[in-house]
Amino acid sequence: MSRESAPSPRGARTQRPAGGIRWRAWARHHRAMVLDSARRLLRRPLGSLMTMLAIAIALVLPAGLWLTLDSARLLDAELEQSATLTAYLEVGVGESEAGRIEEALAAQAGVLDTRLITAAEGMAEFQQALGLRDALARLDDNPLPASVVVRPADPAPQAVRRLAERFEAVPGVDEVRLDLAWLERLRHLAELGQRVTLALGVLFGLGVLLVVGNTIRLAVENRRQEIEVITLIGATHAFVRRPFLYSGAWFGLGGGLLAWGLLTLGSDWLSAPVSALAASYGASFHLPRLGLEGSTILLCSSTLLGWLGAWIAVNRHLAESRPR
Amino acid sequence: MIAFEHVGKRYGGRFEALANIDFRVRRGEMVFLTGHSGAGKSSLLRLIMRLERPSRGKVRVAGHDIERLHHSQIPFYRRQIGVVFQDHQLLFDRSIYHNVALPLEIQGVEHREAARRVRAALDKVGLLHREGALPIELSGGEQQRVGIARAVVNKPALLLADEPTGNLDPQLSADIMALFEDFNRIGTTVMVASHDLALIARLRHRTLRLHDGRLVADEEVA
Repeated sequence: MSRESAPSPRGARTQRPAGGIRWRAWARHHRAMVLDSARRLLRRPLGSLMTMLAIAIALVLPAGLWLTLDSARLLDAELEQSATLTAYLEVGVGESEAGRIEEALAAQAGVLDTRLITAAEGMAEFQQALGLRDALARLDDNPLPASVVVRPADPAPQAVRRLAERFEAVPGVDEVRLDLAWLERLRHLAELGQRVTLALGVLFGLGVLLVVGNTIRLAVENRRQEIEVITLIGATHAFVRRPFLYSGAWFGLGGGLLAWGLLTLGSDWLSAPVSALAASYGASFHLPRLGLEGSTILLCSSTLLGWLGAWIAVNRHLAESRPR
Repeated sequence: MIAFEHVGKRYGGRFEALANIDFRVRRGEMVFLTGHSGAGKSSLLRLIMRLERPSRGKVRVAGHDIERLHHSQIPFYRRQIGVVFQDHQLLFDRSIYHNVALPLEIQGVEHREAARRVRAALDKVGLLHREGALPIELSGGEQQRVGIARAVVNKPALLLADEPTGNLDPQLSADIMALFEDFNRIGTTVMVASHDLALIARLRHRTLRLHDGRLVADEEVA
């Protein structure tokens, strides 16, 4: 029997109604179920809160890690921007000679820009940085070499290393310094962190699915008779599923909001010591906060996870009750 | 309206609930289905509602082999059938009105139209004045009448009832049966499973008798 044909002319009236009416009825039922599921949640506030808290806790760890990594990535990018090589020229190279060498280096492929620090400028910087003006002023000769600070076009470690090798072959260049090892270590750490976060995110996402799935499974169990009755009188699976999907989405959203609150509180609580710690290293590092984008992602994904968990739970029930 | 063609139903591969059932019910007929408990009355009704599938044979309703319905079409098929249960299966968390409105809500009938039809159905079973009550506040007979109102609220072409008078005293049972006769008079095909033989005998309608899953008698009343 096709959906449009009916067992009797009388029955035809009660078959699927026309498009516009159907759509309105569908929208009406959605609206009703949004409210009904919210009411059911509020009817047992403590239980709902506990479910949401479980979801929140499952979300806080990966979200917090992700935040930390995100800020570390910013830091990393900044460091890459500032990745430079310093070519120390031989002591005794005159200023004009130094200028020529700088030009030679600047002409090399892969060099973004160069800055010459003459021996005198080097001395001035040194004095200022160390506050040893008087001690250094007593020296007869300037023991510092002139140097050229080079910003490479490509901050990747291999590229920088190749550039350094080429610089060392330039006559008048004594030594090229690059401090890449720690940058590389940081990069590896960041990658490790990303993978750990991803793995934790997947695991804890599954955790959220299980928490919501279990809660919804109980709700389905509680309303088993109702589901049976409405199925008997012609409710579609979508109709049966709808209130539970909205419940799941509410749980997810509530859990997401709680997680957001926990993250905000946590970063407030930690920010003073972290900033103080960073300041003691002469750096300025602030614990990141969830911006608008991050908050949206957190809330959307938690809502979606709740919805999905409910979907899985209800569908399992529906599959079990298929006619045999 | 209903045609069983050599229908058998086994559960778990061994227990034979129904064997070689063969009968037809014409449109607009009223039929009783009797037999001892466990004779297969409920199984037969469950096959018509397509809550179960026959192990062999064919069940046709309104000319359609319902075995061939895609599972997504089953809800729309069930909307054509009104069902009354022995334990009436009311939802206790909502009022009489909302219990009766349930089939219309499922079908997305617009509120005003739904209200009109719910009140008409409640009026028919004499419970219009109780529409705001909860099922728990009603007597057994009244609850059963609410179940009937729910079954007929969308004017089904076929009305099935499984022991609708099972827990009721003789007077209430007679009232309930009279309601089914009323619906039958306006053209609804009615099939009532019952083991209340005295009542059935008095009502003089065609009776199908099951015994151990077999159709042992098909008594037309002249």
